[in-house]
Amino acid sequence: MAKKKNCYAGKILRVDLTNGSIITEEFGSRQTDLFVGGRGVASKVLYDEVPPEIKPFDPENRLIFSPGALHGTGAPSASRTTVSTRSPLTGMHGDGHAGATWGGELKRAGYDLLIIQGKAEKPVYLFIDDDRFELRDASRLWGSFTSRTHAELCRELKDHELCTVSIGPAGENMVRLAAVFHNGSDKGTSARCGLGAVMGSKNLKAIATRGTGDVGVADIPALKSAYQDYLDTIAVDPYCPPATRYGTCRFMMHRVKFGIHGAENWRYGEYDWHKLDPEVFRSDYQVKAGACVACPVRCRRDYRVTSGPFAGTTAKVEWETIARSMTCGIKDPESVIAWSNICNHYGLDIEGTGDTVAFAMECFEKGILTEKDTDGLDLRFGNVEAYLELTRKIALREGDLADVLAEGTKRAAEKIGQGSEKFAIHVKGGEMTAGDPRGMPVRAVSYATSTRGGDHLRSNPYIEEIMTPEEALEWWGSEEAADIAKGLKGKGRMLKFSEDLVTLGDILGLCKFAFYRSATFPYLYKKGVHIATRLYNACSGRDLSEQEMLKVGERTWNIEKAFNTRCGATRADDIIPERFFKEPLMGGGPSGGAVVERDKFDKILDEYYEARKFNPQTGLPTRAGLEGLGLDDIADDLEKRGKLGA
Amino acid sequence: MTKKKRVVYSNRPWEATGICSGCRLCELWCSLSKNGSFNPRRSRVRIVELGTGIDVPVTCQQCQDPACQASCKFEALSYHEKLKIVVVDEEKCTGCRACVGACPYGIITMDPVTHKAIKCDLCNGEEPVCVSICPSNVLALVDDVEAGEVNRRRLATLLASDDQFQRYMPGGEEPIQKKLEKRG
Repeated sequence: MAKKKNCYAGKILRVDLTNGSIITEEFGSRQTDLFVGGRGVASKVLYDEVPPEIKPFDPENRLIFSPGALHGTGAPSASRTTVSTRSPLTGMHGDGHAGATWGGELKRAGYDLLIIQGKAEKPVYLFIDDDRFELRDASRLWGSFTSRTHAELCRELKDHELCTVSIGPAGENMVRLAAVFHNGSDKGTSARCGLGAVMGSKNLKAIATRGTGDVGVADIPALKSAYQDYLDTIAVDPYCPPATRYGTCRFMMHRVKFGIHGAENWRYGEYDWHKLDPEVFRSDYQVKAGACVACPVRCRRDYRVTSGPFAGTTAKVEWETIARSMTCGIKDPESVIAWSNICNHYGLDIEGTGDTVAFAMECFEKGILTEKDTDGLDLRFGNVEAYLELTRKIALREGDLADVLAEGTKRAAEKIGQGSEKFAIHVKGGEMTAGDPRGMPVRAVSYATSTRGGDHLRSNPYIEEIMTPEEALEWWGSEEAADIAKGLKGKGRMLKFSEDLVTLGDILGLCKFAFYRSATFPYLYKKGVHIATRLYNACSGRDLSEQEMLKVGERTWNIEKAFNTRCGATRADDIIPERFFKEPLMGGGPSGGAVVERDKFDKILDEYYEARKFNPQTGLPTRAGLEGLGLDDIADDLEKRGKLGA
Repeated sequence: MTKKKRVVYSNRPWEATGICSGCRLCELWCSLSKNGSFNPRRSRVRIVELGTGIDVPVTCQQCQDPACQASCKFEALSYHEKLKIVVVDEEKCTGCRACVGACPYGIITMDPVTHKAIKCDLCNGEEPVCVSICPSNVLALVDDVEAGEVNRRRLATLLASDDQFQRYMPGGEEPIQKKLEKRG
């Protein structure tokens, strides 16, 4: 085996499940020159191979697994793998990212990219063992939980170090909220956009991978110095110690500070959160302060309940698990852990499922759903039994209501009707996540412009909190941009920059919490752009400048936008639910009574489109913008389809 | 005279970050220092994952009376007098795997690329890469006396009752009940 010269393996594995053919293709400068790797390459392949005529559940829809460019190396927190597809939830670009070992194993087996197409006749799983690969019968595994699937595969293939991705019963049932799970239930999830449902629609239960090859590095001294620089930065950056101490639960204090809990289906800013304090989680329930592969920040947490009705339950809990539980009115950590356990085993996306259950609960509260519809479940906010039971039923599509909810909030609201569309909280069909945007106009716009539906990880506009007015003036041309509630000017440009910035993280496979969160803007820029660029150059042997790296992020964003445009999205789709414009945030607190003001929202969006060079009236990409990024062919394609902005 | 040393997992379970987090940086950087590329299967230290929440780094304990050396029929394993450890002579190693089966820790392994035996050589007396890279500081290079202390502690951990651990382990400094009262 020749020694690898850089962090790329150099091959693509393409699996056609319809006829069982598995072929390898070359992976090289054609992909990496413009798109580097990870989400960049995956988005490009998705654009090229999935025209809008192919619907999400069509066999010809692709499921693309793309480890970040640095994944597999020892660069700090380089652990992320992108899974892309045309999303059954939004009907547009869909992807999910997970920090786990599977992507690195795929690279060690010799592949930078895995493309799945077609549909198997009966349940199968794919086994990749270095340069041998085969499709094997998975009917025995069909119906089993994600955790058991992983354990059974390890047993069947006699390897306890095997890396797998799999779907649970939810994915098999093509629940549009299903996710793809890495190494069993608690080791990382590519959650959003219904990826698991697409995998289920292809009758693909799992992918087991073993790779014994190397992942190379071009310049070891440069890598070491960038690594050391990263360690020195996180040692002085006040952001990191709480992350290491509490894991992602630490974001609770951020929500408390701004009063943006969005509890009980995005209505209350204040909430009785005290039992969900990160310190309680840490001192009473934590069994493991873990880490994703190669991460020195270590914010992954496993919790265990030792007494009460859920005694013995262990689960990985992230901040979003707690946030979504609060959306359903849950107030105690034990129920949160139990719910996380159910979602992870049945193979559900925690964020989408939480919002969907919350939507059903509000329908119940308003009398749109009655106990007759819910099969006797008392769907009040905060009712733990109903909350857990409905989640389980959604995964199995058990009963009429669960079958409807399994289609996601948007479709469920369309079916239930009776005015429930008004409080169906989704953007482009993807459920909303994280904190309430009321009182924070740029946050509101960031949900609207996200290319995969409502999502907080698509951009990083929270940098408005950490910037000083002087920095804002220097970067966005206006001191206003550092003002969270009142500022307007410069926020659109800031949003564009922050989107490019975190996209870069997905492309390189770096974690957003480890690289794209900091206590001050200079630290953020140093980690997210400066060190990230050095790490990439050291591992790949290329010589990209920081500006070129940001441009790769921008290019990726534009190709995703073009994908959505081709699927019919316009400016009218870049909108957040009516609730945030009309209903003031209830419950008092720092943001109590706030709404998203429509004129502010539109002004920021205008500035954002201008910065992105999209047409401000239609929201469509323009030729000037695309050609500036070297995407001439995309511009031609959009023009042919009449979707190019003037 | 240099003391005999070894790398041990000096876990301190009473401190939440004092346990192995399973980040596998030691595996990755060990393989980099030995081969110039990343590959956990070529690492001399291996993380063993025992279900949810338990990761344990395992590495060569540099035995006094090495079973690996005794099992080798090709004199590929020799005793390094200065470091007082067994080292592999790649020229002589035939890849017969006798040592792999003989090692009580299962930590002399086959390199999947060169098909020769590989084992920890304590980075030739410099500070081992695994110890310096570990972000949780749970790997330590210790001499015999310290190793005894670590092992004693580990045995005590095993012997302590579950109940004690549930009360004291995660938070550490004081019983949980008190903590809750304090927070109201």
